[in-house]
Amino acid sequence: MKELLTIEVNGERHEVAIEKSDSLARVLRDRLGMTATKRGCDTGGCGCCTVLVDGRAVYSCMTFAKAVGERKVTTVEGLVREGELDPLQQAFIDADAVQCGYCTCGMMMAARQLLDENPDPSEDEIRKGISGNLCRCTGYSKIVDAIQLAAAAGRPA
Amino acid sequence: MTLNRLQHYHLPDSGNAVIDLLEKYPDEAMIVAGGTFVHGLAARGLVSHVEALIDVSRLGLNFVRTDEGRLWIGATTTFRELLESPEIAGQPLFGAIRDALSWPPPQVRNAATIGGCVAAACPFFDMPVALLALAGAVSAQGRSGVREVPLQEFYDGLFENTLKADEFVIDMSVPLPTGRAASAFAKLETNANDLAILNAAVLVSAGSGGTCDMARVFVGGGVGETPVRSRAAEEVLIGNALTAEHFVAAGEAARNEIDPLDDHRASAAYRKAMTAVYVQRVLEKAAARLRA
Repeated sequence: MKELLTIEVNGERHEVAIEKSDSLARVLRDRLGMTATKRGCDTGGCGCCTVLVDGRAVYSCMTFAKAVGERKVTTVEGLVREGELDPLQQAFIDADAVQCGYCTCGMMMAARQLLDENPDPSEDEIRKGISGNLCRCTGYSKIVDAIQLAAAAGRPA
Repeated sequence: MTLNRLQHYHLPDSGNAVIDLLEKYPDEAMIVAGGTFVHGLAARGLVSHVEALIDVSRLGLNFVRTDEGRLWIGATTTFRELLESPEIAGQPLFGAIRDALSWPPPQVRNAATIGGCVAAACPFFDMPVALLALAGAVSAQGRSGVREVPLQEFYDGLFENTLKADEFVIDMSVPLPTGRAASAFAKLETNANDLAILNAAVLVSAGSGGTCDMARVFVGGGVGETPVRSRAAEEVLIGNALTAEHFVAAGEAARNEIDPLDDHRASAAYRKAMTAVYVQRVLEKAAARLRA
């Protein structure tokens, strides 16, 4: 039996009918039509469903929608501010850090938490920050480059 | 996810409410908090009987404190909260806890809880092995009150624990030894986000002459249906100096004592070989912490 859930995503409150077993990923993609968040393994092994909940990266495939409560969800759609790409999004473009692109949204959300908490990470800290996200195309080098670019863009000149 | 029979997702606000729910659904309920394990079970069809999820994350069980000679960790304390806790920072004794918590990726550290990780009784998890080395115990709350269960008596096979039907885990605790002690943990894995092929944790202490007077050696991650204690490795260490030759001998003793699983992650032979290596490594790490 479905029930109504109120959830805040990217600063906007939504009332949505869900199944009790719905994951946050399912609510975002199938109930709200916000498909930037990807579904991959659905068991917390690949990272492409990563979103922020109160600023912290979580696997939305393993987060019960019912458990989110009053906390604020941020997806890749929420990184764009007034039509301007987030520095991370621009850096992924500038560093050519995308091949098939399926991991990219999750990768950027993991990187967003990293840079929010550590604006000037070392390469090792970057690699640890995205250790919960698999990419089978790039070999990670350009993804690390992109996160370094975004970090540099955030530093005062 | 395969939670086909799920009818109820409860968010109780008291321990008694949890117990009421456990009694209401004697065989059909499952306790959840961070939720990072239930989906893995669901994908394997292991929770198709579950009709009610009981989410205990709103009981106020997120705490880390030291009193009565023990470190207490609330059941819904996340990996991240414990890792960032000043109670365990820098202390050689809690090295194994810090090591075990630094392995999982941020997404898991932010959500997974210590109580869930311990209660799940998954032999491939890391924290149980660290807490076993530290002689940890579980506090279980049920209709008749709270009882302490030493972790060594808590595990009862693959995904099985010795909780009674009306009980759930409210905290874990670790005794603080009177002397100087240090612990360490290490994990062997195929990638940064996989379960352990093998993991190992040790606790050691030394008297004034540098002779080892206490050692606890545990190996997990597919060496059995529950983590395994290596008494043979402990016997090699106790009464001897904490030096490289004894660490090698302890590793060999642990290897000869275990009878690991053969599965898709690794062969039993590989797990045996790596047991010698990892027991030696964690002993070196713990001894370095003891000297520091």
